Amino acid sequence: MASGGPLRGTATADRPAEETVLRVDGLSKTYRSRRGDRTANAGIDLEVRAGEILALLGPNGAGKTTLLRQIAGQLLPSAGRITIGGIDIVRHPIPAKEILSVIPQECEPKANLTVEEHVRYFALLKGADPAGIRPYVDALLTRTGLAAERNRLVRELSGGLRRRVLIAVALAAPNLRLLLLDEPTTGVDPEARRAVWQLVDALRAERIAVLLTTHYIEEAEYLADRVAVIDHGRIVAEGSVDAIRQRLDHAGRLEVRGLDHLTPAGRALLDELERRYPVGFRAGNTERLRVADPFSPAASADLARLAALGIVASLGPVSLEDAYLALVGNGRSEEGG
Amino acid sequence: MSPGVGRSVAQFAVVFRMLFKETTRELAIILGFTIVFPVGLLFFLNHLVAPDLRSQVLVGTIMLEMALLNINALAQSIGQDKQTREFDLWVSLPISPVVYVLGTAAVLLPFSIVSALITLAVAVGAFGLAIAWTTVPLLLLGLVLVWGSTMGIGYLIGVFGTSPRQISANAQIIGLILTLFTPVFYPVSALPALLQPVAYLWPLTWGAQTLVAILDGATRTALVGGIALAVYVTIWLVVIARGPRWREA
Repeated sequence: MASGGPLRGTATADRPAEETVLRVDGLSKTYRSRRGDRTANAGIDLEVRAGEILALLGPNGAGKTTLLRQIAGQLLPSAGRITIGGIDIVRHPIPAKEILSVIPQECEPKANLTVEEHVRYFALLKGADPAGIRPYVDALLTRTGLAAERNRLVRELSGGLRRRVLIAVALAAPNLRLLLLDEPTTGVDPEARRAVWQLVDALRAERIAVLLTTHYIEEAEYLADRVAVIDHGRIVAEGSVDAIRQRLDHAGRLEVRGLDHLTPAGRALLDELERRYPVGFRAGNTERLRVADPFSPAASADLARLAALGIVASLGPVSLEDAYLALVGNGRSEEGG
Repeated sequence: MSPGVGRSVAQFAVVFRMLFKETTRELAIILGFTIVFPVGLLFFLNHLVAPDLRSQVLVGTIMLEMALLNINALAQSIGQDKQTREFDLWVSLPISPVVYVLGTAAVLLPFSIVSALITLAVAVGAFGLAIAWTTVPLLLLGLVLVWGSTMGIGYLIGVFGTSPRQISANAQIIGLILTLFTPVFYPVSALPALLQPVAYLWPLTWGAQTLVAILDGATRTALVGGIALAVYVTIWLVVIARGPRWREA
């Protein structure tokens, strides 16, 4: 599976006829050093439309952050073109940056400024009208759930609230059309993560285009209209979550847990199942088998046999995670094993 | 003033306000010490030198404080921003690198100026240094030019450094070399003949010469020095505007 060129899926059919905010054409980035060249991005084509959320998934070192930093104007491309709202960010960085905001990975707000000061100063730098700055900041603080914290210094805030301050700073841009988020919820607790998701999700209504990188599959599933999977600096698949799932040549998965506590009878049953269903993924205590039809009587019967032996197992449709692991090679490396 | 310049000036004012507030909250006590630190040095140096070199010692003391503080603070601020990834945030803002650098560098300028005025007052009150008070505005202008003429050094140390520790070490070493091994505490004529032309490559040499000339009422020398410092400021502004390491290659 996942053979052939990048998947474009049903993107055209899925997407409304919105204008393209971000367009990336043939983007490449090669880092040159005395120890040799390293290509971080190779021939990337991408676009994000107004009101659309595109999640960029990929393993560590796949080139996600390099791509985002080039789009944000922090890093110059080796080749290719990036336009934001039709403006080339390499040739005209300041007008392009008027309409984009970015939250860099692991960025910390200023510890000795208050929440309100952060939002006010950054809004002014991004072109907010000084005469109307107070109501503008008030509205942003309310919207991001930070109104009660407005006079607190950032150093007094929890990690989740600090992340929210960065989001408020990113949104403090009157002409915002593109928001770039580099792993926006890494290191925050589940509750704070949900709060960030809701804030990002709400941007759709304002026709703001969002490009986010993430390690969390559930984050992409929750937020993204489309997903692009990047591996070794190349986009290996792009499309809606459904389109990427459909790329797999099987519709279901049989997940078996507790591999290190199997009885001889359980081991024998699993060996039998592995002969009938290819192993899609195995990590630690868990194995996923590829099942052509998770709703077939045969699959249900196999699940019942596992349960009868006290083995924890579940049957269901393939997830984005299955497709992702197959695309970036983790699944292939475990196949047949 | 063109709209672009007007906007940059407004952005500079915002950056300055933001960073001034942050810095004074974080470093209030240290900044207080920084203001009075040169006075002790002035006592020490005044004890060592002949009375006719007192204006040179005063200028050297002020220059040491200003150059060291300016180079160190700017380089370390940039190093800190790089470590916290805030530098990426600055780069992605619709501002010129000049706005960021000027705003960051200007944060400590008021402290340097207050420090210089205190040092000057001590030199007059305690050591009887005779100066015309009408020269004070010119002296302040000279100090701003000295500040601007060393700004690029701090910027380059900051953006080319690989870690805050390395940036801090580089800034301190380079700052000390620039102040101790260039003729700020002694006249250029005290250098070996071979080194005298070389000394004029450093902005601090011009800075010291200009400030001494202002104190001594040597208008022509002060003017030439002021022009030389303005050339340095212009060169640094052009270098910074071109943004080496602002957008990584």
